[in-house]
Amino acid sequence: MAEVSKGIAEKWGLVVDQDRCTGCNACVVACSMENNVPFTGEDNVAFGRGTYWIYNKRMWEGTYPEVAPAFQPVMCQQCGSAPCEPVCPTFAAVHSEEEQINLQIYNRCIGTRYCANNCPYHARQFNFEDPNIPEPMNSYLNPDVTVRRRGVMEKCTFCVQRIVAGRQTASAEDRPLRDGEVTPACVAACPSDALVFGDLSDPNSRVSQMAQNERQYKLMDELGTRPKVTYLKGGGRNGG
Amino acid sequence: MSDKITRRNFLKIAGAGAAISAVLTGCGPMSRYIVRRPYTEMPEYNQTGLNTYYASTCRECAAGCGIIVRTKEGRAITIEGNPQHPLNRGRLCARGITAQQGLYNPDRVFGPIFQARGDTSRQARTTWDEVIPVVSDALKSPASQIAFLLGTAPDHLFDLVAEWARSNGAPAPLRYSALASFEGRSTLQEAANRTFGKPALPFFDLANAEVVFSFGANFLETWLSPVSYSSAYGDMRQARPTRRGYLVAFEARQSLTAGNADEWIPIKPGSEGLVALALARLIAEARGDDVPAAARSIDPATVAETAGIEPAKLTELARLFAASEHSLAIPGGGAICQHEGLATAQAILQLNVQVNNLGVPGGVYLTNTEQPTTSLAEVYNLVQKMNNSQVKVLFIHSANPVFELPKVLGFEEALAKVPLVISFATFPDETAMLSDYVLPDHSPLESFGYQRMLAAADRPVYSSIQPVVAPLYDTRSTADVLLAAAAAAGSPLPYTDEVDFIQQMIVPLISAGGFYTAPEIQTFWSRWLQYGGWWVTEQGLDTDISAAPSRSAAFSGPIALEEDKQFHLVVFPTQLGDGAGANRPWLQEMPDPMTTLTWNTWVEINPETADRLGIHDDDVVRVTTPYGALEASVYRYPAIRPDTIAIPFGQGHTALGRWAEGRGANPAALLPAAVNESGDLAYNDVVASIALTGKRRPLARVESREGVYGEH
Amino acid sequence: MAAETKLFGKLKTSEQEHEDPKEQLMFDPRPREELNRMVMEMMTTTTRKFWLWAIGLGAGVVVLLFGAWGYMISTGMWVTGLRRPIYWGVFIVTFVFWIGISHAGTFVSAILRVFKSEFRRPFTRAAELMTTFGLAAGALYPLIHLGRVWVFYFMVPYPNARWLWPNFRSPLVWDLLAITTYLLSSTIYLYLPLVPDLAMARDRTTGIRHTAYKILALGWRGTEAEWFRLKKAIQIFAFAIIPVMFSVHTIVSWDFAVSQVAGWHSTIFGPYFIIGAILSGVSAVVTILYVLRSSLKHMDYFLRPEHFDALGKLILVFSMSWAYFFFNDYLLGWYGGEAAVRQILTVHATGPAAWVWYTMLICNIVIPWLTLWNRKIRRTPWLMFIITLLINVGMYMERYTIIPLTLGHQRTPFDWGVYTPQPIEISIVLGTFCLFTFLYLIMSRLIPLVPVWEVQEGQVAHSLRKVGKAEVPSVTELD
Repeated sequence: MAEVSKGIAEKWGLVVDQDRCTGCNACVVACSMENNVPFTGEDNVAFGRGTYWIYNKRMWEGTYPEVAPAFQPVMCQQCGSAPCEPVCPTFAAVHSEEEQINLQIYNRCIGTRYCANNCPYHARQFNFEDPNIPEPMNSYLNPDVTVRRRGVMEKCTFCVQRIVAGRQTASAEDRPLRDGEVTPACVAACPSDALVFGDLSDPNSRVSQMAQNERQYKLMDELGTRPKVTYLKGGGRNGG
Repeated sequence: MSDKITRRNFLKIAGAGAAISAVLTGCGPMSRYIVRRPYTEMPEYNQTGLNTYYASTCRECAAGCGIIVRTKEGRAITIEGNPQHPLNRGRLCARGITAQQGLYNPDRVFGPIFQARGDTSRQARTTWDEVIPVVSDALKSPASQIAFLLGTAPDHLFDLVAEWARSNGAPAPLRYSALASFEGRSTLQEAANRTFGKPALPFFDLANAEVVFSFGANFLETWLSPVSYSSAYGDMRQARPTRRGYLVAFEARQSLTAGNADEWIPIKPGSEGLVALALARLIAEARGDDVPAAARSIDPATVAETAGIEPAKLTELARLFAASEHSLAIPGGGAICQHEGLATAQAILQLNVQVNNLGVPGGVYLTNTEQPTTSLAEVYNLVQKMNNSQVKVLFIHSANPVFELPKVLGFEEALAKVPLVISFATFPDETAMLSDYVLPDHSPLESFGYQRMLAAADRPVYSSIQPVVAPLYDTRSTADVLLAAAAAAGSPLPYTDEVDFIQQMIVPLISAGGFYTAPEIQTFWSRWLQYGGWWVTEQGLDTDISAAPSRSAAFSGPIALEEDKQFHLVVFPTQLGDGAGANRPWLQEMPDPMTTLTWNTWVEINPETADRLGIHDDDVVRVTTPYGALEASVYRYPAIRPDTIAIPFGQGHTALGRWAEGRGANPAALLPAAVNESGDLAYNDVVASIALTGKRRPLARVESREGVYGEH
Repeated sequence: MAAETKLFGKLKTSEQEHEDPKEQLMFDPRPREELNRMVMEMMTTTTRKFWLWAIGLGAGVVVLLFGAWGYMISTGMWVTGLRRPIYWGVFIVTFVFWIGISHAGTFVSAILRVFKSEFRRPFTRAAELMTTFGLAAGALYPLIHLGRVWVFYFMVPYPNARWLWPNFRSPLVWDLLAITTYLLSSTIYLYLPLVPDLAMARDRTTGIRHTAYKILALGWRGTEAEWFRLKKAIQIFAFAIIPVMFSVHTIVSWDFAVSQVAGWHSTIFGPYFIIGAILSGVSAVVTILYVLRSSLKHMDYFLRPEHFDALGKLILVFSMSWAYFFFNDYLLGWYGGEAAVRQILTVHATGPAAWVWYTMLICNIVIPWLTLWNRKIRRTPWLMFIITLLINVGMYMERYTIIPLTLGHQRTPFDWGVYTPQPIEISIVLGTFCLFTFLYLIMSRLIPLVPVWEVQEGQVAHSLRKVGKAEVPSVTELD
């Protein structure tokens, strides 16, 4: 396994085609079910504490009758130069060497919430209370993902458990990972194929190709965070 | 069982823990003939730490998407789409993804209950041995007095019950789902029948269309087969290098589909038929064709005024439609669920005929679905029979009529007149609470079955359902219960049990030219389970479609309203589907795409109208229609006609478990009992009035009201 | 009070500042033993009112602070008003507030000592005590605000088997180090000048107190060599603690300035925070001095209008400096033209919580500028009390504006949020105020709040000399 992956610098990336995205929020639910994200209940959502690793920032464009929603699903952008990492006093927000993504180590997190303040995308969520998943509903919890207790931050990990599983499978079969072999839950669910995931270090991967699209932009590129998520403009007549 | 043949092979692959598509097992908890043992003796198909994947079919709505359930140590962990399934191609919507929350819901019915219609003093747990004779006695009643009310899924139960009813002279089982009612399935099918001469749901090839006009069809959210159509929508936008499809939506309240449209044309509810005819005339003029007879007397300018839009816009859209290669017009939802719905649906379908977009890529096809519909008119007849005490026994499965049917219909009262009501509900829903017996079926992830009426399938498909976990509780398959009871009642069907029935049903498929075959049924069965069904590899819809000439229709147009006093009412289904999704906490917590609201019912009203009426966000208003009233908080929704208000369907449960109960309001109270010509609920004709109650109840929104609307 | 009325009478007759030098503490000497006795009496007099306050505040600490905090630990952070995107609320606001307060103790004491400002002599101890207790109260907050306080030591660089170190790139680790350094050094700095006074107290007490003072006085006998070394040590510390003090509040400002947050990411935050801290701290010194003067026996001898006058002038200067930095911060943000920053500046002035912003401006600029020009007002202790209290309200609002109000209006309007402090948070904040006051109250009966040897030293050095017909105040350089 080590031989196979040695020397291969993975650089996982995601492309969000906003022209395909319908805003249906299947990604939100798929992510939550895969990653044991707890549901928080009406009061917490009303208070602004709904926990979503990915959520659609729906803004309105225009005024009636030419009004239309502008959907932008935003998850952790897995910044190459992440604002959340340096501010964490305990190295709970760390950059993974192998996947080149940004991870949260729940055991190390002491809950200063500094990372969440410093994330310009508001992609980080705080566990204000312990998850309340009554038995037997806890049966569906994914054993590959930690269930977070209260007091720690959490966020999108590009489903790192799936990346690792995919890599292990590939190395067990003594072959490199195929493009499209690993898909995070949101990508797998997306009914309109708006999300594409893959290795950006491979110039021939689908995600690399799409990231070259002329419609591409990065969220808050001006901040120099070097996000690994690329958005393709959509809506209106921007598409073709 | 046959799985012995393939078990070893699959286990080898499963042991490698490879990617989803590679490790679908053809065996597992479905092996009902294997004696279950405690988990200390781990069955060989389950290895600690390794995933086992099962292909099945989603039963959260009638669409029938193929799913792959990942299980670990006998627990269903995640659900994803089946990548090989021709319908959803590996994709899935929020409802399917949260199906485990139904399976592992703590509020399920744990075993057979003598419910005594909610009389707690007489309620008691009972045993299957005790209740099978009850069912059997019930089946011995005079055949004409037995009624079955089933849901839109699963199809195999419908087939089984239909067969029993046929052979015993009982009335055919009814199927009902509020979702199907909102979609206008019967109308669509009847319109297809009258237009193309075949009573089948049309399939719209969205992916290859260039210009799409949607009239009320919210195909990205709930309509017919949202995953399939969403996938096609994505392809319509971006799959072709040179052409980006153009979507125009005509509806009074902007649904998710209209929100994604390039142009949203907010026409008045009730004017869809007129607009379709006006478009027909303008398209014919633009193409230089003869104006269809039905549209000859139509003046587009007048129609535009009636519908509340600019005449120039109508002309522009007609030219666009006429000039494009593959122009598609889709009727659905509210547009066809009104008193002139059938004619409207026909007028809209005729637009496709006009541009010769039939049976070609990017055009209209007819699916192979038969009897997929749930006609409300038939349910009305049932209610009438119940009221006249002509129904002695009512069996209810996968439907919750007490919640879903318009209150004014009086189903609850009629139910009281039925001597014996047996519910097969998995959850203690409103109807189950009022039943004599609740004989819980397995939850869909513990069940066998199939779906064969896939509304958006572009080829013949049978989608298989298999258990992915061993049943958690003392539940029993309804098919088995009925088979056992029928045998005891002396009217047996030639099947030993549910699996036997399904196997016999799929025998013809062995030689039907699917993508796999087998020498005998057991091997076929094993593959059927392994692949999640049976289908043919190539798109297989009839390309030879001919259309009858358009019928002349006179539309009365939208109902006149008293400004700021009366409003068109739009009731729309959400991710909660027919309301059964309300006990899935993640479906509740998932923000409504358009409003970002969660966990409750709201009333959408245009902000300008709200300003005139002095209504603020989160004010509780009382919405009154001639049929009833409800109270809910206001959401000032910028994408709705000023003369229209809208309410989502699915909340307002009085039963169904901790996450559903006592939350929001049920707009079924506002709906009429009127149906259109083809038997669908005419819910788009309702006129409502609203009044402030003086109360305030903040809605749980994910968006920032200040940031998005600039209000503090 | 007598001095006050006399003063007013005098001012009415003469507009000039020709006050009687006798009004000044340094020119109103009393015998050494008399001063010692006054300080001892100050320390040992406990009235019924004192005990009531002590019990009340003690109960406040137990219930409001530790009770509420314990409740929060046991149930979780949901009891706070925090929400996406506002992850820091009044805990951090109050933290910055206390760190700011703790500044001026050192500032007043060390800077004035370094520059040999004679008016400092009677109140350096009171100010230093404020630093220590302000820090004690403030240093709780980095713990209180943690989601998992029970593993707070992950922040501490301690040796462990896994070779895990804290992240030294994180401003929070800098904070931890800076605050502990400051707490340690300011405690030593408080202790050093206290030694001769403890010895004085040792010589005038019996029983347990005597034993305690005996230990604490470290065998001070008052020899020439001891005095020499003490003064040397104080001198070194007075110089050394000034950069520590500047660094601490700069580092606190870096919590914000090094971040990516629009409205925080400002290079001027370092000096801006220091000026703000000094403004709020000096104001707090005046507030405390007034309380001491009106509640402690003989304190009106030591604390006189001249001190309020001098501190009032300082406050005015710092209020103006603060206004300059405030303006600077806004101006540059505005000129920078970054949409998010401009949006935040607009929301501060026009948003739903604009009253916070206006309260800040009124309390920090309008009130001091209108009042502190006036010598009469500056020399009226109770007026100074009210003004300085309002300045601290304003400074609290400043931090409130910077933290939750700025966090609530970041770059994506979809995620804006409104923060409302919840009862538990307010309780904890009040609890630390109780803690501070309680510690101060107890300490006022345990150590001499007036550095009596410094006063004596000053009084010896000051004298009125006759030059011709006029009496001219003169000071002898001691060092």
